[in-house]
Amino acid sequence: MSSSPVATDDRAAFLARDESRVPGDFEPGDDYFATPREPFGVLCLRLEIGPLCFVLNGLSDDQAAVLAKRFRPFVDTREKEVEEGAPAADLTIRFARAGVDAFLAAPRGEAEFYRMGRRATGSRIAIWSYEFAGTADIAQGHADLALVDADGPLFERGVENFLRVLTALHILKHGGLLVHAAGVVRHGLAHVFFGPSGSGKTTVTHLSPGDTILSDDLTLIVKAEDGYAAAGIPFGMAHHRVPDTNGCFPIAGLHRLVQSPEVRRERIFGAKALAEIACCLPFVMQDEPSAGAALAIATGVVSSVPIDRLLFRRDPSFWDVAQEAAGG
Amino acid sequence: MTLDLVLKRSPDAAYRVYDGQATIVLPSHASVHVLNPIGSFIWERLDGSASLSQILERVLDEYDITREAAEADLRQFVGSLLNQGMVS
Repeated sequence: MSSSPVATDDRAAFLARDESRVPGDFEPGDDYFATPREPFGVLCLRLEIGPLCFVLNGLSDDQAAVLAKRFRPFVDTREKEVEEGAPAADLTIRFARAGVDAFLAAPRGEAEFYRMGRRATGSRIAIWSYEFAGTADIAQGHADLALVDADGPLFERGVENFLRVLTALHILKHGGLLVHAAGVVRHGLAHVFFGPSGSGKTTVTHLSPGDTILSDDLTLIVKAEDGYAAAGIPFGMAHHRVPDTNGCFPIAGLHRLVQSPEVRRERIFGAKALAEIACCLPFVMQDEPSAGAALAIATGVVSSVPIDRLLFRRDPSFWDVAQEAAGG
Repeated sequence: MTLDLVLKRSPDAAYRVYDGQATIVLPSHASVHVLNPIGSFIWERLDGSASLSQILERVLDEYDITREAAEADLRQFVGSLLNQGMVS
């Protein structure tokens, strides 16, 4: 045996996450989610994100206005009369008042990872953090979101964090993936620059001023008629960009960002490419069913989209080699 | 470690074999592993139906390798999997 059959390439933790508990945490149980809660209002908002359609119900006037502005390119503004012709919603999410001051205890001065609790049973998942608690039945397409605040930063953060997780889980049903990646469209083709925090995703978008930015943090990879396409999502949080378009663009290449003094592209294939992508799939690697589904989809992506490690430095020269993936 | 052991992959481990190599995700450890082709060959056979000695024979049938080297590597590999909770 020329080489040992031990694991040849072990990866570090794929995503920093903190599920620790501290005194003062309130972890909502099934009884909490089963209790009817007061909606904020009667308005609804319909979001179309790639192939996904989310309907947000129970919003107040102010909330609907704030979210419509925040998620602007993704809001379906069609009149009610044509609603019957619109695609069925993947998920209907009922917004309601939490009725508690907090779920997880807030940090006391010292920095900490954003903590998030999670419990999954079959197709049902419950998620909670400081400012929100939500539950969703992925198979049935129903979700409930309880929010501590009716407006302001904690309201918006709670909404976005919950919807980001639901997006990552639901896109699996459509044969797609939510990837920790910047998406940039040049000459009609999407380049997906992926990697962990600090790898240079935001830098790449800053170095692409004339291009269409899909995201500088989370990019959707969706199944298209002929291969795969990329799209942005509107949940950029306060510090990430909301894309200017909800369009889907054919993918020219997936580039694993590696900061380096030199600029070059190294093709990666097979299981190693699969592992690189698996390390950058947020929210779906916490249990075997969704991790297995994500790996199966990623296998399809690896077999049809060029994937490379893109060594780059902080100037636009990386585009010369990135476009080699598109043959340009 | 006795080669009479019959081990099974952890049900918590998600994996895919692509071009003969396994990519394994361990949700409980938040880790991803890639096995080389022989490791992947063994991994796929750790399904609770064959003893390690039977798997060793399959390795010898499949690869040009001495029994001594194959057995040493199999023990090392399976020991590593056991330590990481990837098989039981």
